[in-house]
Amino acid sequence: MDNDIILDFQNVTKKFPGVIALDNVSMQIRRGEIHGLCGENGAGKSTLMKILSGVYPYGSYEGKILYEGRELRLEDRSIRQAIEQGIAIVYQELTLVPGMTVGENIFLGKEPVENGSINWDKLYAETREILTKYKLDVSPQAVVKNLGVGKMQMVEIAKALSENAKILILDEPTSALSKTEIDKLMEILETLKSHGVTCIYITHKLEEFFRITDNVTILRDGKAITTRPTASLNQESLVQNMVGREMKERFPKGNRQPGDVIFEVENLQAVDPNEPSHKVLSGVSFNLKRGEILGIAGLMGSGRTELVTTIFGEYGKITAGTIKLEGKPIQIKSARDAMKVGISLVPEDRKGQGLVLIQAILRNISLANLDQFSGFFRIDQDAELAAATQQGKNLALKASSLQAPVSSLSGGNQQKVVIAKWLLTQPKILIMDDPTRGIDVGAKYEIYKLMNELAENGVSIIMISSDLEEVLGMSDRIVVMHAGRSNGTLEIADATQEKIMALATGIA
Amino acid sequence: MNLFTEITKRFHDNIQTYTIILALVLIWALFALMTPNFAYLQPQNFSNLFRQMTVTSFLAAGMVLVIVTGNIDLSVGKLAGFVSVVVAFFQARVWNTVIPDQPVLAASLSVVIGLLTGTLFGILQGYIISYLSVPAFIVTLGGMFVLRGGILIITQGKTIPANQPAFSEIAQGYLPPWAGWVLGIIVVALLFFNMFNSRLRKRKFGFEVASFNIDLLGTIFFSTLVIAYIFIVNRYNGIQVPVLLLAITALIMAYVSNNTRFGRYAYAIGGNREAARLSGINIKRNIFMVFVLMGFLCGVAGVALASYVGYGTTAAGEGYELDAIAACILGGTSTLGGVGTIFGAMIGGLIMASLTNGLQMLNVPAAYQYVVKGAVLILAVFLDVYFKKNR
Repeated sequence: MDNDIILDFQNVTKKFPGVIALDNVSMQIRRGEIHGLCGENGAGKSTLMKILSGVYPYGSYEGKILYEGRELRLEDRSIRQAIEQGIAIVYQELTLVPGMTVGENIFLGKEPVENGSINWDKLYAETREILTKYKLDVSPQAVVKNLGVGKMQMVEIAKALSENAKILILDEPTSALSKTEIDKLMEILETLKSHGVTCIYITHKLEEFFRITDNVTILRDGKAITTRPTASLNQESLVQNMVGREMKERFPKGNRQPGDVIFEVENLQAVDPNEPSHKVLSGVSFNLKRGEILGIAGLMGSGRTELVTTIFGEYGKITAGTIKLEGKPIQIKSARDAMKVGISLVPEDRKGQGLVLIQAILRNISLANLDQFSGFFRIDQDAELAAATQQGKNLALKASSLQAPVSSLSGGNQQKVVIAKWLLTQPKILIMDDPTRGIDVGAKYEIYKLMNELAENGVSIIMISSDLEEVLGMSDRIVVMHAGRSNGTLEIADATQEKIMALATGIA
Repeated sequence: MNLFTEITKRFHDNIQTYTIILALVLIWALFALMTPNFAYLQPQNFSNLFRQMTVTSFLAAGMVLVIVTGNIDLSVGKLAGFVSVVVAFFQARVWNTVIPDQPVLAASLSVVIGLLTGTLFGILQGYIISYLSVPAFIVTLGGMFVLRGGILIITQGKTIPANQPAFSEIAQGYLPPWAGWVLGIIVVALLFFNMFNSRLRKRKFGFEVASFNIDLLGTIFFSTLVIAYIFIVNRYNGIQVPVLLLAITALIMAYVSNNTRFGRYAYAIGGNREAARLSGINIKRNIFMVFVLMGFLCGVAGVALASYVGYGTTAAGEGYELDAIAACILGGTSTLGGVGTIFGAMIGGLIMASLTNGLQMLNVPAAYQYVVKGAVLILAVFLDVYFKKNR
């Protein structure tokens, strides 16, 4: 029985300043199984994977990980080492070189060499061998950028397997795939299983656990709640274990009375500025009331982010439709224009778009607001510090000093810095694109509370979220997007997950 | 917190700055020991050392912001050289016929023309880089070729003298010792005033104020440096005019980079372009302005160069861009953008000048001087990477 266990986590704890990402996690994964890993954002899944891949090296966490009976010791950042030991990860974001062929990608860094030059025939022959063995339907000589996402994923998997991976970790492999591509992936996973490869499968789509996994471990707030045979679970018990508490607890109830309509979008249509033939918005209409939280739901790729960045003047080229603020049509051509009329955007990608990570917290908070503190030439640094300090206090920002680099903060506190920056602009309308993505539950709660306070004080909030419960828990009304259109608006009183999904998938 | 722990904390917070200052002191000590009678640090050589750093350090002061925004300017050396020959051309060929016997007016007009030439070229390059979206590396590489041609066109392959009396003062002049002392007293007074004023303002806003002793100690330390510097150079000829100009330039640039929107935006753009854009920053205009400023400083450097050598030559400014970039990098400017200080670049420039000067005094052939300078640059960055990794 014992030698059936390929991977054994024993009391693994990983702490970050201010956050415990993994709290005494123990779990076992059997050889040859497909093991589901499930949990909300911030439950600890990605931390666990980063430990397995060596991003967080041996010694940076407490506890033990036994791999094939021996303790796993990966050195700093040595992802290579994890691969050599047979642990491979297929990430959510693909990591292929687009301009190279399938074969070149698979053998990148380990090309078969003869007398100092690459033996291309051997490379492509071996590529073909791998592809046929695991029934991957891709041509070895195809250039990767010409493949669809689904095929790229296959190449990623083939690449991992070419290293003789014993454990293959798939992190949200289906998030960008179509239904047929997902079916294909499931087939591939079955093939892998028959070849004795162990898979760890991470996803947000619960139905996939039931479809493919043998056992599921549920993580919540950094703790491993339980590991059970998938057959003994159903959707309800899975969700119950994931959430582990009543919805009321997750979302603080505000006491707000939305007022008049202040912002209206009518039949907004827009194209990708770099590719004018590509339509990103094909008719979005909604309105927003003073002091209201308006949720925007929709699947990935439904145009949610494109909608708000277009409103903010920083993405799509508007081809039709009107945007009205307080009854007057407005034209927003840049972030600066948006800020002038009182619209702020907390962007989707905190690190990539929200923060200058290497700079101090203070400078990040003041970045969009330097006009407030400047005369013709000089910035009043004392006034700047005073305002940032006040924002930090209001948001209960946990930081040793405002001079500390923002990269030293936890995800939740980083998000507070982004929010602080935008609140300092004193917006009438605050757009928040997935504001709680990847932050821990406590910080989420604080951000929800803050949103309620803001709305009570008359700020109108547009919140995009991928988390249906969050949309249902926080919004007054919900606009559901589907394929670049607003497919319907639901009052919170009669909104349910099912109704949202029906609108989001285009069934309704 | 007692004084000692506070001092060590300050050191720790600014470890990179102190490391490079330490490196400078080490280099000085080494050369002083290797030259007879510590000639290296005797007033005459000490004075020359600072004078030698000025031309490329004007360039470095602008280069910091260029690199901070994630760009590069390869044309600065040749632009300074071009400005120097343009200025020499006016000094030698134009003014003596248009406004004869008015050396001060002629020198002033030369300065204006020099600064204008630099700025105009900066405007041109900046426009192509930011508004026409051609990468800075390519635009300034092309600019370098263009300017090399421009220098040959103006000089016709010959050397143009620029050693007229008033004009020479710009980079060869000295303040009389008494003026040096007056300046010194003013600077020290300003340091103290600034200290009290900043404490007062901090109190007014209700911030925590550092202990009086540590502020006082810091102010006394910098005042001592200023006084010591003036004392040494006064034992030779007095404060060097170009060094004074450089100090003023560096102070203004440091102020601009920290205390103005323009400076802050430059750092934000280099740190995360996307975040800067979404914060409402006009990236194109900011980068354009950075190159205009760089052009202006090339004008300053070019005027100083013409005055310093007393000639406009075909080889003017050859390789200065590399010295300027090296000074920035030695001073902690990150080639990835977003990080770098003017102060660091000035120390970096001083290190480069110190190496050149010291190696020359030791009669090391020019070829080996380059080898040593290159090795020092790489070593410095290696040490930085090493310590960051193993902290």
